[in-house]
Amino acid sequence: MGELSRSTIFFFDQHLCYADIIPPSQVRARIEVAVLNFLKALSSNDPSISDLSLISRNPSNSRVSRGLLTGDSWIFLSHSFCTRSLTRENSAKSFIRVWKVMEMSYQILVQEKRVTQRELYYKLLCDSPDYFTSQLQVNRTIQDLVALLRCSRYSLGIMASSRGAIAGRLLLQEPNKEVVDCSTCGSSGYAISGDLDLLEKLSMETDARYIIMVEKHAIFQRLAEDRVFNQIPCILITAKGFPDIATRFLLHRLCRTFPNLPVLGLVDWNPAGLAILCTFKFGSIGMGLEAYRYACNVKWLGLRKDDINQLVPEECLAPLKPRDLQIAKSLMASEILQDSYKEEVEAMVQSGRRAEIEALYCHGYDYLVKFLATKIVQASYL
Amino acid sequence: MEIEISSVKMLYRHLIFFAVQRCRMSDDLCRLTVKLTSFSHRFGLPLVRISVSDTGVGSKLEEYQYLKYRDDLVLANQWDGMISLATTSVSDSEIHNLNLNLKESNSAGRLTKLPSTTKNGVKFSGTEVSVSISKSLDDLLAEVTCFLQKMILVKIPKVVMELLVGGDDLLGAQTESRIVTIEGSSVYSPVESIKCLEVGLKDYVRKHHTCLSIGENLKGGTGVANSSGSSHGNSQVVEAVVIINEISELFPSSCMREQDMRTEILYFKDFVHCSVAQSSLDALTSINWKSYGLALRSVADHDGCVILEWENLPPHLHIHIAIHCYHRQYPSLPDRNLARKAVKCALDDLKENNQGVLLSTRELKMCDYALDLAKTLARLILSSNDLNFQEECCSLLGVQSQEVNPDSVGNCIREKIISVIGLNDRNSQKHKEAPSFLFEDDCFRKEDFMDEDYQEGEEAYISWDM
Repeated sequence: MGELSRSTIFFFDQHLCYADIIPPSQVRARIEVAVLNFLKALSSNDPSISDLSLISRNPSNSRVSRGLLTGDSWIFLSHSFCTRSLTRENSAKSFIRVWKVMEMSYQILVQEKRVTQRELYYKLLCDSPDYFTSQLQVNRTIQDLVALLRCSRYSLGIMASSRGAIAGRLLLQEPNKEVVDCSTCGSSGYAISGDLDLLEKLSMETDARYIIMVEKHAIFQRLAEDRVFNQIPCILITAKGFPDIATRFLLHRLCRTFPNLPVLGLVDWNPAGLAILCTFKFGSIGMGLEAYRYACNVKWLGLRKDDINQLVPEECLAPLKPRDLQIAKSLMASEILQDSYKEEVEAMVQSGRRAEIEALYCHGYDYLVKFLATKIVQASYL
Repeated sequence: MEIEISSVKMLYRHLIFFAVQRCRMSDDLCRLTVKLTSFSHRFGLPLVRISVSDTGVGSKLEEYQYLKYRDDLVLANQWDGMISLATTSVSDSEIHNLNLNLKESNSAGRLTKLPSTTKNGVKFSGTEVSVSISKSLDDLLAEVTCFLQKMILVKIPKVVMELLVGGDDLLGAQTESRIVTIEGSSVYSPVESIKCLEVGLKDYVRKHHTCLSIGENLKGGTGVANSSGSSHGNSQVVEAVVIINEISELFPSSCMREQDMRTEILYFKDFVHCSVAQSSLDALTSINWKSYGLALRSVADHDGCVILEWENLPPHLHIHIAIHCYHRQYPSLPDRNLARKAVKCALDDLKENNQGVLLSTRELKMCDYALDLAKTLARLILSSNDLNFQEECCSLLGVQSQEVNPDSVGNCIREKIISVIGLNDRNSQKHKEAPSFLFEDDCFRKEDFMDEDYQEGEEAYISWDM
């Protein structure tokens, strides 16, 4: 029973710790509460410097949810917490960082603006070089703030600078704008905005039968240039690497709007490729309280070990890097990963090899489209 | 227990030590006199008689039996090993005169009884011990004066001390002058005793750092540790005083001498300045100086004078330490743990009463953070267009509405944070209990608490971290 409850939708409802999508006035109110609480503790008769308690984004605080009927799964964070404290040496700096980002966010909200993570990074880099030295630190601190205030990053006035693009048989219309035909956007496709509000308001129309998620921009370009969607009625989407929230958001919207279209993933045959696919599919703990929100049931089209065995010559395989093995280990340890996926990871580790999608070009530049068509016809996806 | 006398300095220090203890054992107000008398240069050699006399209880001679004469060429040229004693107790009807020859190893031959002197029925007690030393009066006087000046730090209950100098002038007449007078405290009281030590050390620091007499800023902390010790109620007490001397940065750098990175430990045992006991030396090295922002480079023992050398002391800061170990009654043995405890108490006391002093490296870092945090909060509060929020913040901070600007609000927050940091680690345990959440939720489970360290510099994980 315990096992069942840990892995069903009921468990999800009970244990999900989520970030609210709330209007700016409410976010500001939450920040004000945080400031007042801090000042109260500081000015009390028994003064103290209060710690910040945040929902932990540690893997041990992650849970898996499996839909009873649909077979869809996703991961989410439960209610364990960690603290950022001024008085603890190893967290004093991150404690200050949270307050600094909170200040920025508050000012953005007061001015009724939105900034990208990149813009915020440069602002913080100028204002507080002692505390912020990398985009990663900024991104993590934003997630800390999300975990503290329990509202989405977008609600904080911070947009993800989206790298994503979309192409194919899709008509998009932003409010009060012309309709965009994504099949005529050229090889770089239609750039996905980081403004989630705008993405939510897009009206969409399609006659596609499939959505194809492509890991790499180069492959996306090749497929768009070859107008693959003329032969296979599909929509192409890419995050150009590790998925950002806007791309995931849009893919999730597509899935909700067109529930009958299967989403097929085309990624490199290596652990990182599968990790990218899994992030689209299940969410990522790194995305904190928003991890679960935009999970889509992506199927793994390729490359898989059978494709490698049949189509990729030995000389096109490269040895696995230590980083690959590290990712493979974390994938193998995951309870959410289905067995067929784990078998693939095992095959990668055993062979000690990896292959890029580009390896298929040894059969000609136009082979990729043929490959996709064959796989789709054979329904060869996991 | 054997004490080997290896120098003149050691000799007169012991004679004074014994005299002090005899005075402490007496119930009455006592007087202790050290007198240096120079004689005509016989055979061209200077000769000085050191006599230590006290009105304490009479000597039972026990203390002298442990003294041994070290075969040392320098000492042999200065002292013949003879001690003359005259002592009497209240109950005695006469004064006993004795000669003690420390060079004699045979205990029977050491002591020579001389004819006694009658007291003519008068009741009094006291002892006079004298030795003849071949040394220049000026040198000896300088040494003894320096020694007694350190003794001023501790006020011996009900004992008055004086240093007299006399001599045969050319006309053969005796001249005498008083060099040092030390008033004792009127009664024994532990509170008064530690205060005396603090005042004494402050005076000592002022006198010995004349260059710093203007604009100096002395901050002191005191600590006392007691052991309920033996069954006779002879509990041991260790008192410690730590003084921090801050010189205004305006002072010429010539005042900041190299030696100021060092601290001489003024050590007293049973009210007498003496060399630092090994146990107390261990105590000093075992203190976690880092928690006071200090780093000990070395501990040097120069002929019983212990110098602590610091690694990182700012040039405008000097530290002075005095330790006094004594038993309520004589005799005593020092206890390492007590010395450590007392010094720690003194350091903590200093820290508690002087905001921002002796902060540990960790706390100093936190003070830097405090400045940034205060500025951040002040900017956040003042960027608000919600006047109620601003007013509430200001009233919590006690900032008047006409003073609301980023500097005043920031300074106020900063001061509050720093004062909490100054309350030091003792409170940090207290607040460790249950973390509070901004937005309460019944789902939070205490057992889920985990301390997540922030891994700096970890590369962006493309990995799917599940």
